[in-house]
Amino acid sequence: MRILVVEDDAGIANGLRTNLQQRGYAVDVCDGIASAWGALRAERFDAVLLDLGLADGEGGELLLRLRASPPATGAPALPDPATPVLIVTARDLVSQRIAGLDQGADDYLVKPFDVDELDARLRALLRRAAGRASPTIRYRDIEVDPAARTVLQAGKPVDMSPREFSVLLVLLQARGRVLSRQQIEERLYSWQSAIESNAVEVHIHHLRRKLGSGCIQTMRGVGYFMPQEAL
Amino acid sequence: MAAPGSAAHPSRGPVRHSLTRHLLLWSLGALVLVWCSFVFVGYRAGVNEADELTDGHLASVVALLINLRAFEAVDQAVTTQRPAMPWLKAHDYQQSISVVQWNAAGHVLAHSGSAPLPAFNEAEGFADLSLGPQAVAWRSFSHWDVSRTRKVMVLLELRERDELAQDIADQMVEPGLWLLPVVALALGLALHRGLRPLYALSADVAALDPAIAQRLASRHAWSEFESVVASINTLLERQQAALVRERRLANEVAHELRTPLSSIALQASALGGGLDPNAQAQALARIQQDALRAGHVLNQLLALARASRAELHEATAPVDLAATARAVCVDYAQAAWQRGGEIAVVAPEALPMAGHGVLLDLAVRNLVENALRHTPHGTRISVQIGQSDTGAVWLQVCDDGGRVQAAAGNASMARPADSLQLGHEIVLRVAQMHNGTFGVAAAPAPFTTCYRLDFPPPSAVAAG
Repeated sequence: MRILVVEDDAGIANGLRTNLQQRGYAVDVCDGIASAWGALRAERFDAVLLDLGLADGEGGELLLRLRASPPATGAPALPDPATPVLIVTARDLVSQRIAGLDQGADDYLVKPFDVDELDARLRALLRRAAGRASPTIRYRDIEVDPAARTVLQAGKPVDMSPREFSVLLVLLQARGRVLSRQQIEERLYSWQSAIESNAVEVHIHHLRRKLGSGCIQTMRGVGYFMPQEAL
Repeated sequence: MAAPGSAAHPSRGPVRHSLTRHLLLWSLGALVLVWCSFVFVGYRAGVNEADELTDGHLASVVALLINLRAFEAVDQAVTTQRPAMPWLKAHDYQQSISVVQWNAAGHVLAHSGSAPLPAFNEAEGFADLSLGPQAVAWRSFSHWDVSRTRKVMVLLELRERDELAQDIADQMVEPGLWLLPVVALALGLALHRGLRPLYALSADVAALDPAIAQRLASRHAWSEFESVVASINTLLERQQAALVRERRLANEVAHELRTPLSSIALQASALGGGLDPNAQAQALARIQQDALRAGHVLNQLLALARASRAELHEATAPVDLAATARAVCVDYAQAAWQRGGEIAVVAPEALPMAGHGVLLDLAVRNLVENALRHTPHGTRISVQIGQSDTGAVWLQVCDDGGRVQAAAGNASMARPADSLQLGHEIVLRVAQMHNGTFGVAAAPAPFTTCYRLDFPPPSAVAAG
């Protein structure tokens, strides 16, 4: 999962980056509206953590601009106005919370906050964005718990690395849709991460070995997908 | 009749008296006084009128009889009884009227009526007589004829005259007595109706909520309320402005404190998750920096609280503002040098003014500190002090560094430990306590930013 943190305080930005990376997220940080808007136009993010008081303006302006963007009709249309946004700010007045949510935020968290709570809210946002109500994702005999970062197959735990887990999560959330290697990489790596040339192929290979060769399909010359189960 | 709202806060403090009841009691008191005077005067007038009427009646009868030779028509021994007329009041037609005629020698020529025979005397005119064994009081009028050969006396029992007077007085007083309660009721209703604008004003004032932007409505357009409504609206505006300022300050403080605390919490959480030694050292350094930052904000808050309370406890005293500025700049000279900049004071040798020395020191310190925190390395800072022809003292802190936020993105520049607002709020409060103003001023070349404190001349302070 790739998260964009828009925060002008270096201490908080670094702290968020480290904590979210430790929880398996790919994190990019922008310290102002201009750089964040550029990032949103260039890359797809699964969620945005947005501070309100930024060096070059109000975070609410960025939120309004994002929500006013034309809806994505094709895969590369950016920025995506449906991107979940979680406001993280020191402003705690009820009127400010209401204003933030009315501007289009999906959730509102007042500083200081517990990192576990932030993670839980992020998971809830991502779950809602994927159209799921259940905290776990089921696919055939596989059950994935994003909060606990565990995978069960036929009730038995499957051991996997954080990166393998992330690839599985990306494919599960896009199930039925083919994702190119580049799209998977974009969801897995932040700008600062070094990407090995065949990292995605290696993780797919490991996942097939652990979960069975039939769960992840290859569309030659295009990418990978997990077939949607027939209803 | 209780006024609406008179018992609005029955449980609060002493018993509140009703203005309506107060007005009603005073009005009724005045009304009863006037009414009693009217009744008394009416009664007296009734009695006087009865007296005059009776006396006039007696005189008329005498004038009628004085030339009648009654004894020539009727034997003096014959007494003519009048028929009884019980449906008439005792005084009606004054039944007791009696007539006596004497000759010059005092012999009775004629005597009619029920009055006992009075003793003869030469006197004429009105007289009150007591006649008979019961000494009944009679009113009489006697007169001699022109030749003084015959005297006629007409008598009337005083009881009948008094009954007539009582009747006249009663006729005058009675409507007043039964009209009094009606007038009192009408007065109460009129007062209640007339005080309705006051009730409306009272209800509107009670319903005011200073927390939201409210004013007293223009429906209270009575000239008597003009100053009250204007004063209340002025107070409301001040209260609302103060609330807005306090809210803004609370926001600012919340932001300034929550940001370093959030950073500390995040770094601590990251340390708990396991970091490589380099990242661990960075996280610890950040925690230390943020703890100092939170401490600085707390110091600012304490200074603000102190500035807010000083007004109540401390009196103004002569302060040398130039000496204060020099002392502050000496304290920050090392910090300015470490940043590759410089700090200077442009001021007369001495500049005395009346003020709170500690607070003025606090204000100058905040301005210099802000200039150091919010400008890039190498910035020149100048503390300038002066006095106008009117005696008004001013102080400004200028720098040529621009603001950090304006130059965001310059990686070599450290972020300020706090925003300008909290420090400026402290300076503003100090200025207000000295009846002065604080704000941004035009920066003289080569400086780019100036914050200026203006204090009023001593004459204005004394007048104010």
